[in-house]
Amino acid sequence: MSGDQPPREAKSQSQVHRVLAEVVESERLPGDHHRLVLHAPIIAQQAGPGQFLHIWCHPPDEIDRPPCAAILRRPYSISRLRSPGKVELLLRVRGVGGRMLAAKSPGDKLDILGPLGSGFRYDPSLRTVVVVAGGSGLAPVPFIVEYLTGRGARVLCLAGAKDDEAVPFGVARPHSGRATLPEIEALGAEVTFVSEAVEGILITQVVELRLAEFGDEATGMLAIGPRAMLKRLNEVTDAHIPLQVSLEERMACGVGACRSCVVPVRSGDGHQYKTVCRDGPVFDAGEIAWELLDT
Amino acid sequence: MSAPDLTLRIGAMTMNNPVMVASGIFGYGDEFMGLADYGELGALVLKTVTKEPRAGNPPAARTAETPAGMVNAIGLENIGIEALLREKLPVALTYGTNIVASIAGDTPDEFAQCARLLDSSAVAAIEINISCPNVKKGGMAFGVDAEASSEVVSAVRAATSKPIIAKLTPNVTDIAPIAKACQRAGADAISLVNTFAAMVIDVERQQPLLAAGTGGLSGPAIRPAAVYRVWQVAKAVRIPVIGMGGIWNANDALEFILAGATAVMLGTVLYADPAAGNRVLAGIRDYCERRGVTRLSDLIGAAVTQL
Repeated sequence: MSGDQPPREAKSQSQVHRVLAEVVESERLPGDHHRLVLHAPIIAQQAGPGQFLHIWCHPPDEIDRPPCAAILRRPYSISRLRSPGKVELLLRVRGVGGRMLAAKSPGDKLDILGPLGSGFRYDPSLRTVVVVAGGSGLAPVPFIVEYLTGRGARVLCLAGAKDDEAVPFGVARPHSGRATLPEIEALGAEVTFVSEAVEGILITQVVELRLAEFGDEATGMLAIGPRAMLKRLNEVTDAHIPLQVSLEERMACGVGACRSCVVPVRSGDGHQYKTVCRDGPVFDAGEIAWELLDT
Repeated sequence: MSAPDLTLRIGAMTMNNPVMVASGIFGYGDEFMGLADYGELGALVLKTVTKEPRAGNPPAARTAETPAGMVNAIGLENIGIEALLREKLPVALTYGTNIVASIAGDTPDEFAQCARLLDSSAVAAIEINISCPNVKKGGMAFGVDAEASSEVVSAVRAATSKPIIAKLTPNVTDIAPIAKACQRAGADAISLVNTFAAMVIDVERQQPLLAAGTGGLSGPAIRPAAVYRVWQVAKAVRIPVIGMGGIWNANDALEFILAGATAVMLGTVLYADPAAGNRVLAGIRDYCERRGVTRLSDLIGAAVTQL
């Protein structure tokens, strides 16, 4: 780690770009998952882990025509950077927007805004980073892990989901030992995976069981997933471990203007609202007014 | 043929063209910076502010997507007029086009206090939001009543010499008397429509989807209903009418103009296409050139003269 690095390196929204990105890979994955790889050099160059893209699901050359469905863009976190100049997205195909995106073929163009939001902040004094991810929060994990291991951090990835279908990666269950996600292990993380369906345990319970391991000052935690999971992590870490959480909320503009996606954060004795799309999606856990946050 | 003349005036505010960004869409101007050439547009209306900052409605959810539209219930969350003047207006002015402030309040006097503060600022005009459906007090409560609308406009008129635009709600039985009352009270223009009162139910939770219970519908779904109300108002008043409601392209904007609007505002479309204003403007210019229209103002109400 270079000595003149700022103490906390953050990728936050500075310049938002609107680009026409070409789809270079479009692959159906098991479950309802879909992989899209987009050629978007300026976004790939500037994006940090935890940031997202706001995608117009219709053909860009039809933007003059008002659509009946999917009139708003769809936010997707960046799953991974692919060189040169490519970004990978892992979608869970559920609504109309996801279906439209999953129907894209290589050569199609997408109108995207990005990179948006304030992503995970990296503190170089941390030697170990615990990445806790649940359900839909698994999609951006490869980017987070690669980013951290690339900076010399030891990364423990504790991942959970309802069942294996809910995971956009392959799940391996060796005869002896714990379940794992080989694709995440290949990026240099030590991985523990649990599903409610097979292991019958929540990832937050795993965190609680292993909490003693994370007690030293050089360990931090990044979490992304359902709000109930994030809320529980905030309780069990109890401010002893620096915890950053990535939140989701319905959004419209994606750039902090419409105030749709606000969450309550502490402010003096009370609270104020901050936007998930611009101030977040990543917040310090201590900043969130958890008691006011819907889960 | 020379380029068509698209210029117009709203009171003392001169505009290069009729394409405006509607209030509540564009934040305070800084959020969208760099995503399009907003300085090319006729005017930009900033998000409504009140005398004091407001937290707005509870979140989760404040917005719901609906067929060809969206329902929102932000509830006038805003930073307050003083922060607007201090922090946001100087940035918005760098766009180099008319910046219009939008104000709201619980009482006519609160509107007037905001207007007084704006009077010495560099805003080109003031829009009076008496049509927000998402607040319990003020907002639409004024805009559904001719006398109450008139009181607010009069109070603002007494507080400023800036051009005043009264923004009306479509959620009334007859909008024309309200528009006339605003004109009589000194408004320089009428803008309409604000959103249509609306509701979305989450069937699984068996609860309203929006935390506020109800909201306002915008987007292409409301366009024909908005054109109708613009026509009703345009034939009732002498002052300029600014039409809005679901405009997506130049054709939509021209519908409003041909029904009687002098200018148009874009809203929901900007979330899909941040450069929609520039696209609509280029399309209006193309239309004029193709049809040999030398002055856009010749088209105002041209489709409804026989009605």
